[in-house]
Amino acid sequence: MAQKRKSLIKIKPKKFKDGEVVKVSFMVMHPMDTGTRKDKKTKQLIPAKFINSVKFSYNGKEITNMTVWEALSTNPVFTTYMKINGKGKLTVTYTDNTGEVNEKSKKIKPKG
Amino acid sequence: MQRRDFFKKLGVVAAVSAVAPVMSFAGDKSKSKNAMSYKTAINAITGGKTPKKSAKVKLKVPEIAENGAVVPVTVNVESPMTSSDYVKAIHILASKNFNARCIDVHLTPANGKAMFSTRIKLGGTQEVSALVELSNGDFLIATQSVKVTIGGCG
Repeated sequence: MAQKRKSLIKIKPKKFKDGEVVKVSFMVMHPMDTGTRKDKKTKQLIPAKFINSVKFSYNGKEITNMTVWEALSTNPVFTTYMKINGKGKLTVTYTDNTGEVNEKSKKIKPKG
Repeated sequence: MQRRDFFKKLGVVAAVSAVAPVMSFAGDKSKSKNAMSYKTAINAITGGKTPKKSAKVKLKVPEIAENGAVVPVTVNVESPMTSSDYVKAIHILASKNFNARCIDVHLTPANGKAMFSTRIKLGGTQEVSALVELSNGDFLIATQSVKVTIGGCG
């Protein structure tokens, strides 16, 4: 059950060389409901809906694997570092507790 | 005597109403499937080992957070990140949230640098800690208390 979500992969610095270590951040628009909050109008609990796991993979090889719980803020950001190793593709796969699976990828082109 | 009693009762009512919001939050704890206390979370991760306090782990959290719904957390670990000596995992824990675990990050040498940052929700004033697992099986910990003026789990 895939749903369209706005997401973004940012790499800093924008221009990088082969073998360089760069900062990678991934952002998603997601409600991250904990399941303990009440709707103010209907006074009923809002069901839990949060991201379960996030995987960063580079050319099919997994580099970072995260297990996520409810305590992350709405529209979460995940920032780590990554070593550039030739041309390729960075793919981020994220799963929801309701079974929603999504993917976002970005091409990587080192210069020089 | 009557006046005295009245004031005593008033005091009790004030105390109860002050505690009530905390209690309602406590009542919600049992509803969540993932509820886990801070100590059991640490034991589950380390498998009974006691983590060492270390200056190698640098935890960056604001001392006073105005809004508990968005608290930026950055963890930096000094490590060469080679295939023989690297940081295996970074766990971010909040001591008084109903589920103490916030995120478990499993790193590999391909990361190049042991750093992670996100934004977390805090239910109230409490301690945030970063538990780091090294490739040789050791556990390091860094803790900092955060004052929260408006809770983020209400």
